[in-house]
Amino acid sequence: MLRARWYKVLHDLLGSKTRTVLIVLSMAVGLFAVGIILSARAILTEGLAQAFASIKPSSGVVHTAELFDEGFIEAVRSMPNVQEADARRSLMARVETAPGTWKNLTLFVVADYNDIRVNRISPQSGAWPPPDREVLIERAAMAVIGAQVGDIVTIKLPDDTERDVRVAGVTHDPAQMPAQIDGTPYGYISFETLDWFGQPFGFNELHVVSDRPEDKAWSQRVVNQVKAKAERAGYTIPMTMTADPGQLPMDDVLQGILLLMGFLGLMSLGLSVFLMINTISALLAQQKRQIGMMKAVGGRTVQILGMYLVMVLLYGAAALALAIPFGTAGARSLSRGMATYFNFDLLSMDVPPQTILVQLAIGLVLPVLASLIPFLSGLRISPAEAMSSYTMGRGRFGLSWFDRLISGANLWFTRGLPVRSLLLSLRNTFRSKGRLALTLITLTLGSATFISVFNVRASLTSTVDDMMQWFACDIYITFERAYRGDEVEMQALNVPGVTQTDIMLQLPARRVRPDGSESGMLYLFAPTVGQQALISSPAIVSGRYLLPEDQNAIVVPTGFLLDEPDLQLGGDVVMKLYGRERTFTIVGTFVGTSYLHMFFVNYNYLARLTDRAGETDSLLAITAAHDVQSVAATSRRLEEHLQDVGLRVDTVSTMQDERAQAEVIFDVIVSLLLAMALLLALVGGLGLMGTMSINVLERTREIGVLRAIGASNRAVAQVFILEAVGIGVLSWFLGGLLAVPMTKVLNTALGAAMLGQPLSYAFSMQGLWLWLAAVIVLSVAASFIPARNVTRLTVREVLAYE
Amino acid sequence: MSSRTASPAPLIDLRRVVKVYDGLGGRVTALKGMDLQVFPGEFLVVTGKSGSGKTTLVNVITALDRLTSGEAWVAEAPIHSYGPEKAAHWRGETLGVVFQTFELLPTLTVLQNVMLPMDFAQHLPVREQARRAMHLLEQVGIAEHARKLPAGLSGGQQQRLSIARAMANDPPLLVADEPTGSLDSVTAAAVIDLFEELRAQGRTIVMVTHDLDIARRGSRTVTLSDGMLVGSPGEAVHA
Repeated sequence: MLRARWYKVLHDLLGSKTRTVLIVLSMAVGLFAVGIILSARAILTEGLAQAFASIKPSSGVVHTAELFDEGFIEAVRSMPNVQEADARRSLMARVETAPGTWKNLTLFVVADYNDIRVNRISPQSGAWPPPDREVLIERAAMAVIGAQVGDIVTIKLPDDTERDVRVAGVTHDPAQMPAQIDGTPYGYISFETLDWFGQPFGFNELHVVSDRPEDKAWSQRVVNQVKAKAERAGYTIPMTMTADPGQLPMDDVLQGILLLMGFLGLMSLGLSVFLMINTISALLAQQKRQIGMMKAVGGRTVQILGMYLVMVLLYGAAALALAIPFGTAGARSLSRGMATYFNFDLLSMDVPPQTILVQLAIGLVLPVLASLIPFLSGLRISPAEAMSSYTMGRGRFGLSWFDRLISGANLWFTRGLPVRSLLLSLRNTFRSKGRLALTLITLTLGSATFISVFNVRASLTSTVDDMMQWFACDIYITFERAYRGDEVEMQALNVPGVTQTDIMLQLPARRVRPDGSESGMLYLFAPTVGQQALISSPAIVSGRYLLPEDQNAIVVPTGFLLDEPDLQLGGDVVMKLYGRERTFTIVGTFVGTSYLHMFFVNYNYLARLTDRAGETDSLLAITAAHDVQSVAATSRRLEEHLQDVGLRVDTVSTMQDERAQAEVIFDVIVSLLLAMALLLALVGGLGLMGTMSINVLERTREIGVLRAIGASNRAVAQVFILEAVGIGVLSWFLGGLLAVPMTKVLNTALGAAMLGQPLSYAFSMQGLWLWLAAVIVLSVAASFIPARNVTRLTVREVLAYE
Repeated sequence: MSSRTASPAPLIDLRRVVKVYDGLGGRVTALKGMDLQVFPGEFLVVTGKSGSGKTTLVNVITALDRLTSGEAWVAEAPIHSYGPEKAAHWRGETLGVVFQTFELLPTLTVLQNVMLPMDFAQHLPVREQARRAMHLLEQVGIAEHARKLPAGLSGGQQQRLSIARAMANDPPLLVADEPTGSLDSVTAAAVIDLFEELRAQGRTIVMVTHDLDIARRGSRTVTLSDGMLVGSPGEAVHA
């Protein structure tokens, strides 16, 4: 047999089912949001690192211009600081994705697919290893080329050798940038197939793992030793790449995502905390009279507090019972989605115990602390006051100057307002200012986060706009070798639909650091500069763009300065071009990612430097019509014409392609942001509903009084709906204001992680109006449903409500 | 009317009690330096108009509210110096309170409502509490409703339940604030009968009412007006 007080706890929990469900749901949504974000963050951080480590990632890759054989691989393997080495052959090709439509394709050739020692590739489905005269396609690339296993595709090499090849299976190669990101699919063939394409045997990529792969500087030294060895053996090294230890190909994006998740996790935590304090204080306010009575019959603070602590612990436990399994399932599903984007399989989906502990702490400890605050403040009120009928409902409205102000007695313009709806709602809103403040803080945080999430999304789009600013043409064509610029432009202008052209030189380069180490591959773009130039400027962040009189000036992407922190605007950077070191002065920085380093230098200077004056290897063209179909049709005509006149086209891209490619990098972040916005809307919305519903329940007796003096059900509902909408709209307004600095902080952090500079700020009116609509709908629903339930009771029942 | 029991030690001794409230219309002095003594075995009835300070007097005697100044001694305890915590403990031991609006816990059964003060006082094991609660319910005549919730009782039955709860810890003093205010005259008379029975058992009773017919049932009546005792029909007034 339980003591009487515990029966009260049990009956309160089970007797007021609506209230219990509302409180548990309000607490559970906050916990769910915290759980899903923290768990997904933990799963991704651990899981991706584990998955990446399992392929034995290389410390660096050395590319050779000439082909080498197994003997050289063995020689590298025997080097003292090399833990492991393996080799591949890579070659650029094109694949026909639709009749007449070609896409770039990178083909890899591995000697023994069953003994890959570095950057392991694994079979996914179909044949393994690649059968002769057939190709395997990387799994992320299947969608890019639109092929299925069993399809026959046409592959063309730069020397125009074409072969129809069957797609025999699907592979998984996590070391490559996912094909949907860089737009280049990957294929895997055998050396016999390579021979069938008419290509000689031999490797041109050396994948090296240093003996201290976790030490980036050391690994860089080891890769340089391998490079030096290759050079001594007579090989030309156009580029080497050193990887950051344990970093995925898309680490910048991953860091951005983790940062965003951390922020949203914190916001959800904050929301959850306020939701709980609000919910518990509403509950205690409702129980104020009963608490007074219990004190009157001898209940001591510790005894009564104990009862409510047990009650909130039980609410917390019920909320946790809902939130933990749903949060874990949600986190796994979110992590799976993210892993698919990064083209990884998560080896473990275990949620770390710390995450569960955080949820338990929030779910159990926080409600206890939250209940202490209103309980202890309630102690100041005597039992007599607690039971006084003068304080029906909540608060003691009318004592402060603010109450008197909004009573309308001194405001002439309020005298004409209908007392029933507007004034009563307004005064009700401000009756319990502490609770209003809590509700407003909760809702404002939710509103600000929701609107900020939309703002960050708009800022990402705005950043892509800035990133694409350099691409001031409809079609961009690269050639396999340099041709005379005027000849190329003349031929292009002969094609119907092409209205304006420009030329550009581009060449790979590497930064040579003061310690002699070299960066990964960079691309120098040398457009013409001046009035007639198509590229007038990328989106400059600091400094300036090129001027016609510039000599060794260079404009660098912001992301590059993030990777090479010793460089700065106005300083010099040494670049290795065709094996020779050249010094450039950084005159400006522009919005650019760190995984596709494009640099701008003056055409005239670079042409002179490389002895290619008047030549070009790239063509920029503007078309008469700019819609997708017209540009695609003109681009096909232009490519065919250039091929017909003997100009060997390497790649063709359109503005739409480039933009889509730039956007796809941010796609995952945008999707995540949208998912989080929905989650926050759910948390904020249910929080609003919970608070409002509890407010209505708390004033059940007051509803009885209103109805007893002749108010219709509609009039009663109107008072509560207006109050709820008022609070909702006020939180929306405050949230909109708070979203401005919040977005700036997020843009700065996200931009710093991904671009080395803040995202281009944009405020999303869409998010603002969407949230306003959501707030109004939720406010109406939150107040109407409980008010309607109460109005269904008889006046006698309502007045007897406790 | 019987005279008060000749006892040198009053059970309630109020000395120059002042209680001031901050109300909407400014400061209100509800009790203006009141002196009052109630002796063991008395059935004191306090009457007065609405707003005269009757409920404030009950709150002072029961330590439900703190004094602004003066002293309040009840059962030899200086309750004017008690904080809320000590006051709650003292109330549970010393007196029972009956309210006009019953103030029952709607989620507890009739039996559990009576057991609650015993639970807070922690004098008896749970089974003993239940036995005593049942006995008290028999005393007030509603034992057959023990398993019901208060909402299932009539107004008179709820007030009987409220009295049984007030008796839970067997206090020497019972304070009732308009206990018949929500009841019809027949039920009200039955409740007063119950108080008389309790007084006959040796308890001291202080009851606030504005009903003069009921006021006549007490052993002594005092009248409050504007926070002061103004007279007592046929009896001495300690003012």
